[in-house]
Amino acid sequence: MNLFASFNLAISRIMATKTRSILTMLGIVIGVASLVALMSVAQGATSGISNALSGLGAKQITVSGTSATGLVEDDVTALSMLPYVESTYSQVSGQGTASTGKVDVSLSLVGVSPNYASMALPKIAVGSFLPSSLPMQASRDVVLSAVAANDLNIKVEQIGQIIYINGQPFQLVGVLNDANGFGARGIAYVTQDAARKIFAQTPYVSSITLQSTTETDVAAVTTEADTLLRGRYGLSATDSAQFMVTSQTSLLSTLSTVQNTLKLMLGGIASISLIVGGIGIMNIMLVSVRERTREIGVRRAIGARQRQILVQFLIEAVVLSVLGGFIGLVLGELAAYFVAKAGGWAFTISAGTVGLALGFSALVGIVFGVVPARTASKLQPVEALRFE
Amino acid sequence: MSSVVSLSSVRREYTLGTNTTVALDDVTLDIAAGEFVAIIGPSGSGKSTMMNLIGCLDRPTRGLVSVAGYDVADLDDDALTSLRSQAIGFVFQQFQLLPRTSALDNVATPLLYQGVKQREARQRAEEILTMLGLSDRLDNDRTQLSGGQQQRVAIARALVTNPALVLADEPTGALDSTTGRQVMDLLKDLNRAGRTVVVITHDANVANYADRQIHLLDGRISSDQRTKVTA
Repeated sequence: MNLFASFNLAISRIMATKTRSILTMLGIVIGVASLVALMSVAQGATSGISNALSGLGAKQITVSGTSATGLVEDDVTALSMLPYVESTYSQVSGQGTASTGKVDVSLSLVGVSPNYASMALPKIAVGSFLPSSLPMQASRDVVLSAVAANDLNIKVEQIGQIIYINGQPFQLVGVLNDANGFGARGIAYVTQDAARKIFAQTPYVSSITLQSTTETDVAAVTTEADTLLRGRYGLSATDSAQFMVTSQTSLLSTLSTVQNTLKLMLGGIASISLIVGGIGIMNIMLVSVRERTREIGVRRAIGARQRQILVQFLIEAVVLSVLGGFIGLVLGELAAYFVAKAGGWAFTISAGTVGLALGFSALVGIVFGVVPARTASKLQPVEALRFE
Repeated sequence: MSSVVSLSSVRREYTLGTNTTVALDDVTLDIAAGEFVAIIGPSGSGKSTMMNLIGCLDRPTRGLVSVAGYDVADLDDDALTSLRSQAIGFVFQQFQLLPRTSALDNVATPLLYQGVKQREARQRAEEILTMLGLSDRLDNDRTQLSGGQQQRVAIARALVTNPALVLADEPTGALDSTTGRQVMDLLKDLNRAGRTVVVITHDANVANYADRQIHLLDGRISSDQRTKVTA
């Protein structure tokens, strides 16, 4: 009996007991589907997030104050003197309100220093960004994020007109494009000097961003910046500080730790459902062996060896579980497709995922099919033929 | 004439817990090639045990069983299966066709187990089925065949490996008398064509087709008569 004939026989058996086969496969279907969805989503999300982050430049280090008075203007100057620091910008942020006279909204008010435009690269939809030359920093210009502009019901012809920020008149010079997260929230960008006046918090800054000369210097600059600031505030390396130094590299590594935990957890769920699915297959195969005892007897009588019976039942278990695995693969990829669409990253089917899904289901079929197949092959022909 | 089956002082006991039942005791018997033998007895006489031993499905507790020249005591399970596959063609009372399997594939299956390629196995199966007048039933499975047709497919399956012996267990037991006669006529024809046939039955009418009747009673041979002289 060759493998092809055994395979055909297995298919016809499964088709003959459709409902039962489908119910049996369910465990494997769920296990493989969650495995596939998890892997595809994790891959898609990782590449989506790293794309978004590396778009902002992997060379940047952010020092953020954990209180409103955590960092001062002088810290910016000191940090900019560090070796391998190419440029710096700082920002002052807080809650604010904006008003066109007709509509009032509350939003985040961010005051940015001159280098912001060249380092953070905000995308302008209409108009221009804030002036970056020093004398103009005192200007009362404002740029709105797309969301803020939308909330305020700003029309294109209103560029150049006056809007009120915290009750003070500002000239609206531009609106940002809703890309890379710049326009995602309601934000009004003003110059740092203007913001300081509004918040009355000279000489404090909320955060400082440093750009290192190359990506390889990021780690060194991160450490140096931390040491320098601790020195300025008289803190030892172990004291808790009123600032935090982070880089995208450290952000990415935090992200990957979170992702690994997630993978482990979902992987655990997938393995448990695969094991439960395998037990389901073992159970139904044992039932099948019992039901087909006479048939096994007849097959032994007309010349089937123990091994041929074993292979027959093993193939049936594997076909059952791989079929379940295939259905699970399709459902899992389908789920991943919709998640990718919702999350806005590219959907890809990786060969590794397909291989893993089918490989795992085949493995489950073999592992849980062996016991029933052995039971079938060890039946005594005489007793099997007599079985009612 | 060479002997196809030879039993010598055969005893078969079954042990269930502490109870030992003797199913066959001190049976000695020789079946030569070309014979048509009926083994007759009431239920519990040891008929089934006899069939299992002759059919290489079971081994004796004591004594010697040799089939087609092989002593079954010497054979392991695989070798016994292989002997069964080559020397014995089984015909069962309830036909025992494989479910959801066409007549053609039922007949081809013993060849597939022997390792014959599918195409050749099907070709040989078709020849035998055509010979038995079932050429228009090749694709039907057992639910689409009458009892008589099923038993003819079963006989085709028994013949396809060209065995030394066709072993039929109550071949007419599940058939009406007319169809039963047709099946017995077919077995008679096969025997006339040179095939050794052994029929296990409790039915004297069936036994009358045979040239030699062996009566079993309580696990022993009570009579062994040749009703016709064979050449």
